[in-house]
Amino acid sequence: MIFNNVRCAAVALALVAFGAASAQAQTATQTVTFGVNAINQIAFAGSPTLTITTAVAGAAPTSVTDALSATWAVTTNQTGAKITASIPAAMGTGLTLSVSLTAPTGATSAGFQALSTTAVDLVTVITKQAQASLGVSYKLDATAAAGVVASSTKVVTYTITGGT
Amino acid sequence: MAQFVTLSVTASPATMTINSVAAAGLQPAAKTDATTSYKVTSFLAPQKKITAQLNAPMPVGMTLTATYAALGGGTSSGPVALDATARNMVTNIGTVFGGTAAITYALSATVAAGVVASQTRTVTLTILNYP
Repeated sequence: MIFNNVRCAAVALALVAFGAASAQAQTATQTVTFGVNAINQIAFAGSPTLTITTAVAGAAPTSVTDALSATWAVTTNQTGAKITASIPAAMGTGLTLSVSLTAPTGATSAGFQALSTTAVDLVTVITKQAQASLGVSYKLDATAAAGVVASSTKVVTYTITGGT
Repeated sequence: MAQFVTLSVTASPATMTINSVAAAGLQPAAKTDATTSYKVTSFLAPQKKITAQLNAPMPVGMTLTATYAALGGGTSSGPVALDATARNMVTNIGTVFGGTAAITYALSATVAAGVVASQTRTVTLTILNYP
């Protein structure tokens, strides 16, 4: 009889304890800390070949343009980013290599710009865009003074400069 | 009858900072954290559910998604975008004694979010009767 009373008392105490636990800790919290850094990334694909082969008598050799062989893509989460381009060495006498980039939405393309060792702006005011498969057009111009030019290559370096 | 129900979390997740993109032309790459978990004891109680909500909405262009693994025979809602409204994370939780299950957070942002200075949100988990 004494043993049974002790057991009943233990159960009663346990239920009191359960009730106390039930009345607390029905919620819990976590703190999530987050942020986004500046992101500016570009990519170019394709390597066009441009060869001038014709001319109209009395005029300079006929320019050639390639608008199909290359594309570019951009991701920026800033406002007012821009794309510049340059080549590591000047073109030969009488030769001009120009490039034009299709602007992503809301940005401004400068159209064809002659490339040199000094970086030139191609697209400006790129603001919070993520776009791929944008057009790249190359154009090669030559004067008669250029003469016959053996095949050579130029590496065009594109740079994205972040905005604000 | 008295019921015994407790809910706790192990810790807060690590800081998540979006700082890269998988490839130009794509949206920024998401960040995830799967280092935390929650713990539940529930017995002498009806079926339970766990909800989660933020103390304030996320910034424009940002989404914080949480996935709570199920416990106690319950069902996980899978990835749920969190906001200032309580969202069901796990439902139909039965009797469980100190069960622990993983929490996975995923932070994503579109370029429209811009640059976002470090900030915090409080996630409040609540255990309630289900349904």
